Amino acid sequence: MLLDALRREAPADPAPETRIADAPPASAPARHPAEAASRGIAVTARDLRKSFDGNTVIEGLDLYLPAGGFTAVVGRSGCGKSTLLRLILGLEVPTGGRIVLEGPETGPRRSDPPKRIMFQEPRLLPWARVVDNVTVGLSGHGSRAERRERALAALAEVGLSDKAGQWPATLSGGQRQRVALARALVGRPGLLALDEPLGALDALTRIGMQDLIERIWLAQGFTALLVTHDVSEAVALADRILVVEAGRIALDVRVDVPRPRRRGDPDLARLEGRILDHLLGAEPNV
Amino acid sequence: MMRPTPLGRLRDTALPWLLPVAILLGWQAAVSAGLVSNRFMPAPLDVVRAGWDAGRTGELWTNLWVSTLRALSGFAVGGGIGFALGLANGLSRLSERLTDTSVQMVRNVPHLSLIPLVILWFGIGEEAKLFLVALGVFFPIYANTLHGIRSVDPALVEMGRVYGMSRTELFTKVVLPGALPSIFVGLRYALGIMWLTLIVAETISASSGLGYMAMQAREFMLVDVVVLAILIYAALGKLADALTRQLERACLAWNPAYRSA
Repeated sequence: MLLDALRREAPADPAPETRIADAPPASAPARHPAEAASRGIAVTARDLRKSFDGNTVIEGLDLYLPAGGFTAVVGRSGCGKSTLLRLILGLEVPTGGRIVLEGPETGPRRSDPPKRIMFQEPRLLPWARVVDNVTVGLSGHGSRAERRERALAALAEVGLSDKAGQWPATLSGGQRQRVALARALVGRPGLLALDEPLGALDALTRIGMQDLIERIWLAQGFTALLVTHDVSEAVALADRILVVEAGRIALDVRVDVPRPRRRGDPDLARLEGRILDHLLGAEPNV
Repeated sequence: MMRPTPLGRLRDTALPWLLPVAILLGWQAAVSAGLVSNRFMPAPLDVVRAGWDAGRTGELWTNLWVSTLRALSGFAVGGGIGFALGLANGLSRLSERLTDTSVQMVRNVPHLSLIPLVILWFGIGEEAKLFLVALGVFFPIYANTLHGIRSVDPALVEMGRVYGMSRTELFTKVVLPGALPSIFVGLRYALGIMWLTLIVAETISASSGLGYMAMQAREFMLVDVVVLAILIYAALGKLADALTRQLERACLAWNPAYRSA
């Protein structure tokens, strides 16, 4: 309720909202997991500002991410997209404005689903076995045996059951990112932020990871926020794409292409072209 | 790589000892043939005999025990303080600002130059040796612990925070294991300095211990005992190093650089 009110009060969004494909705009099909699981955290940002040493990175940004949605943020490097994600996660303190995270209404406050992030690099503890790296995602929850059991289940989900006892140093880059994904998911997050997590992977591994992330998101219903410079990745995964330019949202696009999406789908390709045109046509901000 | 055959493995084990054994044999031959006067350089067999005699009377074991005890207690005191201060300064800006400059100033004084002062303070009792060993051991442990904590990847610390680790967990699961390789470097340096300091201290002012035994032998021109003492130092140093290596291998198994082949 409060959120709706806020949204209506908010100054008219300067970004044009566009829809593509022939899907009816208002009623999204039931593919949306929000209703099914409703474990997601909704994010509202109002007049958000952030500057580092007088250098403005985010300037008066308004944003609403509904619970359970999959939003991608794209933009040139240095446009402030990573900073936006870090602000939402609470890794940076905003210079002005505020961010409200709202979990599902049910249950006591202490059992709020956590917010998790997958970084650009796996950031695994090299001195902990794979399974112990996953239990990091359960810090402060349950008994040792319980944590281990859930970690093994999460590893099975990303297809790495057989690597549980290995050192991270023995895994490939893609396997390490899958361990990082298992670590992020094992705590049943309400919000999963992905900060270009697939940037360092080769093309085929990346597509495999994208499918894995989509599948798990559909099954678990958390709110997903993906920051990426790869427009085709954003188009393949997200149901909404925000183009950030000079610390503001310059374009807000809904992707109404039903899932599972086929790679090379003409609708997706058209959308990708549109966003790229916008990015390339924009004044370069250095 | 090929799997080593038993013969190949034997060769790999034997190879490092080839040179020392050859030197020993050449040395024995040179003394036996009268090329070297055994007043300056005793033959290896004379040294073995000296060791046997000293061992039979129990004198060797007493001295060895006394020296080891001194070394270890000095190491425990100096290493303990160095480790604690290294941790404190690595984790707390305030503590570092308060103490690091002073420590760096004292560090540049060669600790053995304090021997005259230490004898004035403590005489030639146990405290003098303990003080010197502790002082010598303190710096490498302190500096490497501090450096280790400083060089822990901040990205991992941030990850630990985001994933809700408590301060204790952050320390035991991220900071300490990350600092461990550097701490081991400090440990090995410290062990070397430990023996060095103790021997110098015992040679100059002591009434027991290996260094004292060597000095006594010099008084009576017992070259074989002097050489025996030196060889025992070498063996003790090697032993300490081998123990640290084992410990490293056990604690740093995750690191491909330390994994045994």
